Amino acid sequence: MKMREENDRYKKITEILRNSRPEIKRPEEVENEVIRRIQRESHKTGRVSEFIESLFGWVYIGWVRRSLVGVAAVIIAVFVYQQTFIFRQVKSISRQVVISGNQRSSAPSAVLDKKLMFYKMSVRLTPEGDISISGRQLEEFLESYNDLQLKYKDLQRLIEEDPELKDYIENKLSQEKKYKPDI
Amino acid sequence: MVANELIEECRNGDLHNFRKVVEKTTPIIFQVAFRMLGDEEAARDIVQDTMVTIWQKLAKIKTADSYKTWVYRIAVNKCYDQLRKQKRQKESRYDDQAWALISNHLSEEGITELENRENARILSLLTNQLSPKQKAVFVLSELEEMNAEEIVRITGMNRAAVKANLYYARKNIRSLLQKYI
Repeated sequence: MKMREENDRYKKITEILRNSRPEIKRPEEVENEVIRRIQRESHKTGRVSEFIESLFGWVYIGWVRRSLVGVAAVIIAVFVYQQTFIFRQVKSISRQVVISGNQRSSAPSAVLDKKLMFYKMSVRLTPEGDISISGRQLEEFLESYNDLQLKYKDLQRLIEEDPELKDYIENKLSQEKKYKPDI
Repeated sequence: MVANELIEECRNGDLHNFRKVVEKTTPIIFQVAFRMLGDEEAARDIVQDTMVTIWQKLAKIKTADSYKTWVYRIAVNKCYDQLRKQKRQKESRYDDQAWALISNHLSEEGITELENRENARILSLLTNQLSPKQKAVFVLSELEEMNAEEIVRITGMNRAAVKANLYYARKNIRSLLQKYI
């Protein structure tokens, strides 16, 4: 009984709503506004919107279309970033001295350390992004450095062995210190 | 609804003829939007947006015969967007005046016709707890008197989803009627 009453109420209210067709007031205003908007939009439509329309025109739901445009824009931005920033970094890495595995195992670690130290020094001395030192130049530089070190050690040994020479040099050094102007 | 020749001409960019299309299509869109949103002003906005979209996409419509379904689909999708923006009320507010109005109409002999304002008030009261999909199926099936096949084509839901949404919409409205009348 209760169920039937409920059904009757439902049927009657839906019938009332069905028969009460909502009528649009001042339809000519809506028509004019539609035509105005179309004319305005057609002026605005540029090449970009035509391009977007041709790509995503098949999507009727506004927010889905906007999301697709957004995702496409992000993908393009990532691609451009990758092409400019990351590619530049890769290029700078390719310019650096590469020490291969074989060289590393055969060369003594002290030599490698020196090589790296010279390389770092050369990077510090030259302006950023303008490094033009080859591996061969580095080798030559290292050799002359080693020669210089050997000669310096020989000189030290000679001075240690000759006390007169040692006194003479010490005097000279202290005199030089006296006349050195204070900066 | 709208003559095929008229649509064909509009597809070639004839804005003068499109005014005639607007004239004939506006009442249909307004009716469905009004019933889904329960708001006259919002329904007018939907009419404008839908007609502009129709003009922009008219070239893409495959056959002029499918115009009616296509118009409904665009209008319903725009109503979905509008309903998603609004927050659905979890609990129906007790509007004693509106319920008294429904009660009066139910007790009257015969079927009365409602004015826009009354119509909107009753629609809002009965459907404000429904999801956008339930609302769309209820309006298309119970008020626009469409069959399941047409609703499937307009909403993009499958037949089972249409049936389920209609079942829950009816159940919800029945329980409201039972609770407050």
